[in-house]
Amino acid sequence: MTAPTDAAVQALAEAFERYARTRYPFERSRAAAAAGWSTDAWADYAAQGWLAMALAEHHGGIDADARVLGALMQTVGRHLLMEPLLASAVLGTASLRRSSPACLDADAPQLAAGALRVAVGLGHGALALRDDGLHGELAGVLHGDDAQRYVVGDTAAGLLCLVEPAAVQRRAYRLVDGRRAALLRFHRTPVLRLGGAEAAERLWQEAAVALCAETLGAAEALVDATAAHLKVRKQFGRTLGSNQVLAHRMSELYILREEIRALTAAAQQALAAQDGAAARAVAAARAYGIRAARSIANEAVQMHGGIGITEELPVSHHFRRLMVNAALFGGREAALRRLAAAD
Amino acid sequence: MSLDAAYARAQRLREHIRAFAAELPADLRQRCAQHAPLGKGEYVRWMRLLQARGWATAHWPRAHGGQDWSALERFVFEDELARLGLPWVIPFGVKYVAPVIYTHGSAWQQQRFLPPIAESREWWAQGYSEPGAGSDLAALQTRAERDGDDYLVNGQKIWTTYAQWADWIFCLVRTAQTPRPQSGISFLLIDMRSPGIRVKPIATMDGYHHVNEVWFENVRVPVIQRVGEENQGWRIAKFLLVNERTAGAIVGMAWAALQRLRELVDPQDAAGRRQLLELELRFDAFEAAAYAAVARMLTGNEDGAEAALIKLRGTELYQAIAETLIERLGDAGVAYDPDALHRGAAQCIGPADGGGLIKEHLYNRAATIFGGASEIQRGIVASAVFGL
Repeated sequence: MTAPTDAAVQALAEAFERYARTRYPFERSRAAAAAGWSTDAWADYAAQGWLAMALAEHHGGIDADARVLGALMQTVGRHLLMEPLLASAVLGTASLRRSSPACLDADAPQLAAGALRVAVGLGHGALALRDDGLHGELAGVLHGDDAQRYVVGDTAAGLLCLVEPAAVQRRAYRLVDGRRAALLRFHRTPVLRLGGAEAAERLWQEAAVALCAETLGAAEALVDATAAHLKVRKQFGRTLGSNQVLAHRMSELYILREEIRALTAAAQQALAAQDGAAARAVAAARAYGIRAARSIANEAVQMHGGIGITEELPVSHHFRRLMVNAALFGGREAALRRLAAAD
Repeated sequence: MSLDAAYARAQRLREHIRAFAAELPADLRQRCAQHAPLGKGEYVRWMRLLQARGWATAHWPRAHGGQDWSALERFVFEDELARLGLPWVIPFGVKYVAPVIYTHGSAWQQQRFLPPIAESREWWAQGYSEPGAGSDLAALQTRAERDGDDYLVNGQKIWTTYAQWADWIFCLVRTAQTPRPQSGISFLLIDMRSPGIRVKPIATMDGYHHVNEVWFENVRVPVIQRVGEENQGWRIAKFLLVNERTAGAIVGMAWAALQRLRELVDPQDAAGRRQLLELELRFDAFEAAAYAAVARMLTGNEDGAEAALIKLRGTELYQAIAETLIERLGDAGVAYDPDALHRGAAQCIGPADGGGLIKEHLYNRAATIFGGASEIQRGIVASAVFGL
């Protein structure tokens, strides 16, 4: 497997953006949110090969690394794509590659076609695998409401495994951004073991770095929208942006966005290269990115004024999406814990 | 009355409110504990429960059926209700327009409008902001032109809270094009059932319908429903804004959110404890400064920035606490179904009030925007205190 060149990553990034700009306008995201996500859009992704990217070449994929998947997630964040790309096409698919070659041969075409959707849940001290099966419960399993397969793990117990939906008790619920999640309960649940502590930790890193990229996309959209608003909206006979205090606040948002971008790129590089510094780089990007993006979202809403808290504009949708992304996979706490451990 | 006597009275008021809260109907207490949204019927019932004690209008003069409450008492009243997690005092009638009517209104207006406000028989809305006039309120363009004994009103208001429930709306309208925009504004009381009024809902990010656009097309308003002189409405508008912005509720809201955070922080979690202590310290400073500001209003020693200080620091501190609460709730801090919360359904994950805390967090992102955005409040401080 050879790493893709920067130009190849860039070309893919442009293709993702082209699709979202032309085929996934804000109205489509809002409509998808009403049902959780759009099956039509999911079919589009399958047709364009997005759902196969994380598979090996002999399974029709491109062995996509953290940078390629990051470019996809950046588009997801920028355009508020509601479908289970993170859960299934990025994390679920990467995890299924740990299953046996026979299983993977059977699953790969299903994954690529979008017929098999995976949801991923990771706890820290929430699960225990005993002789009689898996025990415990996991909340916040994104798209766990209607997934056809679960990858669940626990970074404290050092465990990653595969679970069939029929063997799990699940309670579906709505997230604040309109997506769905599930609370999964395990009691003597039969599992197929995919790996141990290293596999679970690797999954956390892949999740964290993908969420960083999505957060970057959201930050870009919010900064662009806010700057545009300040140029157009007039009060007291002049544009809002001609007030120095607001111009200065925009410059702060610019720096926050560039910090997120730089930390995310560093984390992607480290993870793709599997180097020893990956643990720290990923945790740093995740911990800083959550808070920086929250500042950007707060300021974007504030500088938009009343219109910023309505359903009408993407601003409030990004705000809520970022709330969810900040809480997934243990949130900031999980990242700080790893930073402390790497110190 | 001395300050000490005023504080003693305020303290007694707090005790009366706590006793009142303990006797509230169980269903209302339950909805409050969950932070579930209230409908018009529930709010009217709430306002009448308050008025059974004379509290909805206690800040009115005795001559109009009030109790002549001081600025301190009305501040403590709102503060204490919020500390107990009780609903807010719907302000559009009793707090905003009623003082305008008993201070600047005609005898007919006082007789016609004050009793139904006191008894919550008529619901009021506030027609101030417009699409082009938010922070820059004086830029408002809704026109009122004389036609015999009526005005003909045309234009659009926005962010009108609970206009969908309103019987009446008080509006700032333009009655003259003057070089100084403030000089051509009048204050009208408009019947929401008038032909030509259309209310269009605006959905906010907490998933509920609080605010609206209100459209006026050739709406006839009798001239006798104008408060004060024609083109002198700006003075009244500002009188009302000071009442709007002097809000004790934000102190109690911040306090209540802090108590909730304290319950959620594990005593063994040193970092969480430290974060809580820092927020409590910020609250102590805010509370002290807020009450000192109220004392200045009480004794006539205002520097003109009191309301701005309370609103600025209060809303921003509240938002910081609410944000910490949500983060602390983890996965439960993003599980939110507004329809389920409206029905009073149980939470799927996390504490029973989790959804309500999310609703409060989302809705109160607007607290630094409505009623004079923080950017405007900072300008008021700079100008009032420093002449900048």
